[in-house]
Amino acid sequence: MSAAPALAVEGLHRSFGGIHALDGVSLAVADGERRAIIGPNGAGKTTLFNVLTGEIPPSSGTVRLEGTDVTGLATSDLARRGLARMYQRNELFEPLTARENVALALAAAKGPYRLSRARTSAESAEADVYLERVGLAGRETARARGLSHGERRQLELAIALAQSPRVLLLDEPTAGMSPAETASISRLIGELDRSLTILIVEHDMDVVFRLADRITVLHEGRPIAEGTPAEVRGDRLVNDVYLGKALEA
Amino acid sequence: MAPLASIGFYLALLTFPDWSGAIEGSRYMTTILRDMTVFAIYALSLDLLVGRAGMPSLGHAAFYGSGAYAAAIASQRLATSELTVTLAAAIAVSAALALVIGLLCVRATGIFFLMLTLAFAQMVFAVAFQWTDVTGGSNGFAGIARPTFGGLETSAPEALYRLVVIVFGLVSLLIWWISRSHYGRALVGVRENERRMRALGYHTRRLKLSAFVLAGALAGVAGALSAWSFRFVSPNDAGIGRSVEAFVMVLIGGAGTLLGPIVGAGVVLYIDRVLSSAIPFSQAVLGVVFVAFVLAARQGIVGSLRAALVRVRR
Ligand SMILES: Nc1ncnc2c1ncn2[C@@H]1O[C@H](COP(=O)(O)OP(=O)(O)OP(=O)(O)O)[C@@H](O)[C@H]1O
Ligand SMILES: [Mg+2]
Repeated sequence: MSAAPALAVEGLHRSFGGIHALDGVSLAVADGERRAIIGPNGAGKTTLFNVLTGEIPPSSGTVRLEGTDVTGLATSDLARRGLARMYQRNELFEPLTARENVALALAAAKGPYRLSRARTSAESAEADVYLERVGLAGRETARARGLSHGERRQLELAIALAQSPRVLLLDEPTAGMSPAETASISRLIGELDRSLTILIVEHDMDVVFRLADRITVLHEGRPIAEGTPAEVRGDRLVNDVYLGKALEA
Repeated sequence: MAPLASIGFYLALLTFPDWSGAIEGSRYMTTILRDMTVFAIYALSLDLLVGRAGMPSLGHAAFYGSGAYAAAIASQRLATSELTVTLAAAIAVSAALALVIGLLCVRATGIFFLMLTLAFAQMVFAVAFQWTDVTGGSNGFAGIARPTFGGLETSAPEALYRLVVIVFGLVSLLIWWISRSHYGRALVGVRENERRMRALGYHTRRLKLSAFVLAGALAGVAGALSAWSFRFVSPNDAGIGRSVEAFVMVLIGGAGTLLGPIVGAGVVLYIDRVLSSAIPFSQAVLGVVFVAFVLAARQGIVGSLRAALVRVRR
């Protein structure tokens, strides 16, 4: 264990008015690990992601990316350091085609100050590879706003993957998807390269237990348990506050 | 087809003084066309912000006006009418001003951005109005020398017309080029979802600032051309009316298209200059046209025609 964790947070706090959305979160995710973050609605999962990506500053605490303190860095700089995110609520370029949505992610690495032509055949081919991977082959020229809910989730994932991230944050990737779509997207996530570190927030426990190496349970802004899927499944407290209900549902 | 038609149309515009001699009132029409073209450049520059990057500036006249004053004052103070000097002065001053104002405005979005740009433009207007020694104050700045380029004079109406249309051609080409480029698409990305752009690693504020400066510089070019066309600049050229005018042109013509702002400039100037002598209350007509577009055809003339064309083809 010489290498620093891919992602480590220490004592994160964040409140909104009187609500302690994050109330002392510490966790360390190893390089290549698949970590699930679970917990009831309002537990602070999305807020944690917002703090990790720099979209919301923490009230206190630190975030380290591959050993470097990145607390307070701008979202765009964190993205440039290899952090990508799939949003719980899709953040797409609505009037652009699926292909152009992905192309904007691909083009980010070289920066926007280029007067060379966008929409070349080479660029399209590269974007289409990502669309095909997430199951959007044949939908390349459909506008984002014209896609079905499931397809929009797939596009969200394609955009994040096209960033070639080192750490990937997935916020409820299967939310609102049909069982077939859920199966195929979780298979895709399971097949992602092991050099990639993944944090996944998910309410579908089948998906969580299939994908996760370790699970952190968040409740009212605090981690109340952490361990392997088997350990977490056996935890009394976790069953009381969350799993009991989540597994019945 | 479309590129050929555009080139044909452009050449017809460029050579208008040469072939229109037989038409009655052709000299007057040349003047009107020249002014439409100046305003087309101005509207195109604003559309870079409003249509491409989604930045609704209501203070664009600050840069149009400063370009006009800079060209006039440079020519007077440096005792030169050389185009390269006076136009460079216009571009430098309006771009520098856009950099300063832009730095203070690009943090804001939507209505706040709109109000901030409006406020800063009012400051520029106030300076133009009160700095009498340099700007001539409320009397304005008259008798501006028309530029020379190498040995070429533009004091004759046809020569100035050609200069204006050539600059218009270059600006249109630049905007067209940008719209196909990575830069242009990144601006659209910012317009559609700035949050996602940041998450992708784009420094969106810098990107918006660059567009603001470029648009300011191009508005300065339009301002300089207006100073030479009218041989007069006044604080009104930096005033709110001038800012609104560009906004109306962009919205009526169609934001985010190359042709839209050009058509919009044509329509607004037609109502303002031609219709105004034919019918009373032409300003009210303009108002009604504008309201009609905002209510019924948000995409403007060009956007609506394009949508109709797509429907017909299907
Ligand atoms: N920007 C914000 N402003 C105010 N309150 C917020 C904000 N973001 C989150 N909250 C509050 O913080 C708490 C945690 O919200 P968060 O979205 O992080 O929960 P979550 O675990 O992602 O829930 P879900 O499973 O429903 O997505 C909630 O009470 C929420 O209302
Ligand atoms: Mg959430």
